[in-house]
Amino acid sequence: MFELIQFWSNLSPLAWFGWKIAQVLAFVLVLALLVAALVLADRKIWAAAQMRRGPNVVGVFGLLQTIADALKFFFKELIVPSGSDKFLFIAAPVITLVMAFLAWAVIPVAPGWVMSDINVGVLYVLAISSLGVYGIIIGGWASNSKYPFMGALRSAAQMISYEVSIGFIILTVAALVGSLNLTEIVAAQEGGFWNWHMFYLNFSNPVHLLLFPVMFYMGILFFISALAETNRPPFDLPEAESELVAGYQVEYSSTPFLMYFFGEYVNIMLLCGMMTILFLGGWHAPIDLGFQFLPPVFWFFLKCSFLFFLFAMVKAIVPRYRYDQLMRLGWKVFLPTALVSIMIVLTFVNFFGTGAT
Amino acid sequence: MPNLYLVIPEILLAVSASLLLGFGVSKTKNRAPIVRLIAIAVLVLYSVLSFLLGSQDGEAFKGALIIDGYARYVKFFIGMAAAAGLLLAGDYLEREKLDKYEFSVLTLYAVLGMSIMVSANNLLALYIGVEMQALALYVMAAFNRDSLRASEAGLKYFVLGALSSGLLLYGISLIYGFTGTLNFEAVATSIQSNGLSAGVVAGMVFLLCGLGFKISAAPFHMWTPDVYEGSPTPVTGFFAGAPKFAAIALIARLVMGPFGDITDQWQQVIIVLAVMSMFIGAIGALRQTNIKRLMAYSSIANMGYALVPLAAGTVSGLRGMLIFMTIYLITVIGVFACILQMRIRDGMVERISDLSGISKTNRGMAIAMTAFMLSLMGIPPLLGFFGKLFAFYPAVQSGLTWLVVLALIASVIGAFYYLRVIKTMWFDESEHEFINPVRALSWTSAISALLLIGFVMIPFVARTGQDWISIAATSLF
Amino acid sequence: MLVAISFYLLAFVAIASAFMVVASRNPVHSVMFLIVTFFSAAGLFILMGAEFLALLLVMVYVGAVAVLFLFVVMMLDVDFVELKQGFLQYLPFGFVVALILLAEMIMVGAAYFTGETKALATYSGEKSNLERFGEVLYTDYAFFFEAAGLVLLVAMIGAIVLTLRERDGVRKQDITKQVGRTRETAIEMVDIESGQGVG
Repeated sequence: MFELIQFWSNLSPLAWFGWKIAQVLAFVLVLALLVAALVLADRKIWAAAQMRRGPNVVGVFGLLQTIADALKFFFKELIVPSGSDKFLFIAAPVITLVMAFLAWAVIPVAPGWVMSDINVGVLYVLAISSLGVYGIIIGGWASNSKYPFMGALRSAAQMISYEVSIGFIILTVAALVGSLNLTEIVAAQEGGFWNWHMFYLNFSNPVHLLLFPVMFYMGILFFISALAETNRPPFDLPEAESELVAGYQVEYSSTPFLMYFFGEYVNIMLLCGMMTILFLGGWHAPIDLGFQFLPPVFWFFLKCSFLFFLFAMVKAIVPRYRYDQLMRLGWKVFLPTALVSIMIVLTFVNFFGTGAT
Repeated sequence: MPNLYLVIPEILLAVSASLLLGFGVSKTKNRAPIVRLIAIAVLVLYSVLSFLLGSQDGEAFKGALIIDGYARYVKFFIGMAAAAGLLLAGDYLEREKLDKYEFSVLTLYAVLGMSIMVSANNLLALYIGVEMQALALYVMAAFNRDSLRASEAGLKYFVLGALSSGLLLYGISLIYGFTGTLNFEAVATSIQSNGLSAGVVAGMVFLLCGLGFKISAAPFHMWTPDVYEGSPTPVTGFFAGAPKFAAIALIARLVMGPFGDITDQWQQVIIVLAVMSMFIGAIGALRQTNIKRLMAYSSIANMGYALVPLAAGTVSGLRGMLIFMTIYLITVIGVFACILQMRIRDGMVERISDLSGISKTNRGMAIAMTAFMLSLMGIPPLLGFFGKLFAFYPAVQSGLTWLVVLALIASVIGAFYYLRVIKTMWFDESEHEFINPVRALSWTSAISALLLIGFVMIPFVARTGQDWISIAATSLF
Repeated sequence: MLVAISFYLLAFVAIASAFMVVASRNPVHSVMFLIVTFFSAAGLFILMGAEFLALLLVMVYVGAVAVLFLFVVMMLDVDFVELKQGFLQYLPFGFVVALILLAEMIMVGAAYFTGETKALATYSGEKSNLERFGEVLYTDYAFFFEAAGLVLLVAMIGAIVLTLRERDGVRKQDITKQVGRTRETAIEMVDIESGQGVG
């Protein structure tokens, strides 16, 4: 009997391991399907803004277009440039993809729906997203070609610059909540949209009402920084086609290219999810009716989709920045204002308590 | 926080440096001279404050810094030397079109770093202090960034400085690992109670080597001539004085404090450093033609002399070191005030032969320079003699007579090149005439020369100064 | 068991990749191995329960410092033939230094192992890593924190002093000015007679 118990307790880590693997697979599968949908949505929205139809041939309304594209990339020939560093050339897109998926490990999409609810979740996301830059910089370098290298350098500088302000923006939220745990950050925004950090009208702690403009500004800043962090237009200088052909991806074809493409969209989803969690109340409904007529994950998904719609609209509407303008915006506008904001928020938290009380 | 009043001088430095930086960023006209004047005032105020606030001793920031008579004494002179350095630099910087307000700000930060070094009571504070002054000094060495030589000086200084920081950190980590503490007193207690372990000795040797770089003691001297030659002259003058004093003060505090019980262990290291420095300094200087390189070797040799009394490991030895370093500081300021006066119509000159015949054209400068050279040699009526006397006597007392004999031999060799400078000035034919220096330079050299000639200083050395230095020296025991 | 396996795996990877940092011929590969080393070190931190430190290590060293390394290494045009020329000349000296260091390490290591060994302190308490850090960093170690900040400030001033060149007569974009333009200031109506030009 005793031995049996021991057997089970020995096995339980294994069982735990299996459970986690199942979770990972589920996340990856859902994300992959979502990417297919998002790519299509992106193209459709873009087309609509330009009064075109967008993809409409493959499948009903072009629904299968992304899948067809993916299949095409799978079956194309993989071309590795002769002067390239072969190992790193193949490793780079893999890094991008893996890092994009890794960050999802701590994202809570609904109460309890999180793979790993760690205490320093915010830091984990920051750390992993700061690694994403390696995929690009290595890919650009390993191609042994001029345009990719320029694109890689641009991208590295850009992502590092905006990571700094993203870090400070996230800190304002963390300071308000008093925790770096993403689940707790979402939990702190319960009760209605006026508790969301973006529309921060915290009536339970009236002095905090003064923070509304600061937090609103932080939300907007986070959105713009997210655009820069994911190399989306108007900050898509690493792949600016008018200057660098396709930036760091010039030499890539076939599956590695697909991986880059895939990783990019997973990253976009990640930042939409982060913004939802940090500023838009995560899985909470805008108005708390006392009962749930829709599952929490629906709200999370809805908010993410709305943010992605904004991403796509920005791409359609705003012209590309020049590189020095981009750097100026990051270092001379975002960073100082984010610093001032965090000082204000910390002062409030220090003298009037966190938002929760 | 309690005990904050003890570190008012340091806070003054940090705050005013940051404020001046803010002021400098504004587009005010003539901001560089304004910032420089304020910085000089701040430095003088710092010296006076660290001297005046002196009646109480104590530890600040939970034992990170210690403020005692010793620290106050060294800080007073560091502040004064830095103020003099800035005063001398003004004219040079303006003429060479280097006059940027950052120079003064960096000086303030360098002095802040030295101040932390001198007051360090904790290995972390030691490292932070060393690093702060070193970073400021690297930049000052390369301040003339368009000059190839200055950039080379800055780069060399930086690379070797980084190496010395590495040694320092390695030593610190060993000591921390084997004693389990960073605090100086706790290290001493740990050595007393647990006995001596190889790790602590290794750590101590690394620590002393790292600091050896900072005082340019041989065999860690190789950066000195190039850096002295390449840096802008006022920067060189600053390098030769205050940072050396701070570093050697730190070495003294280390060997007397945490390693006070293992005299036998560090004595060997100090003696090796001292002997090598004295001889390399003396012999290396013989073939130099550039006055700044000459001063570099001279400073290596002088650091060797300063380590001699330290090797004795007694109160009187520490007192001798303080007296020697104080006098050396005054001399160096004077010498560089003179070097800065070596200006012909086309710009600065730095060769020793350029000094030829200035006894006829610039008699005042020639007299002052002669006084400095004689003092560096240690000729009796001048203060330099007393410096060496106080430095070597404690070593004899504690039985290191052979070391003193070596020091005297090195002094005799060194006398040769000092005499050569004097000979060039008084007996060689004049090549060109220097243009009239600004008043600050001539006054500074005159004052330091007067101080050295000793009539002013003798009562000072005899009475108050002695008391003051004695208090400073005993406060380490 | 699992912890032990993870420890040995991480430690092995850390040491092996640290060796490869020195041994690899291509400097870019060296930096890559350096990153792997940092990662393994972060993993070791996590095993000790220092999750905050681990993530900080990844964020700061891998995310920023190593990227800048990579930047520099990629931009440098390193000539390996030239680099290797002095190798034999410096070899004896380097060998002596390495030998001394090795002897010292062995001595120190021996002293450590023959002495009483202390268990590594792992922290497991109610408060999170972060709170514990905050509690000592802003109280006992406030001075070091501030002073280290000043050191970084000095480094920054240095970098700016040595590189910033203010040139006169450079046209700069003033975005407020651009955006603040109105129709009145931007457009001038000119009547041009035919055949005359704006002149």
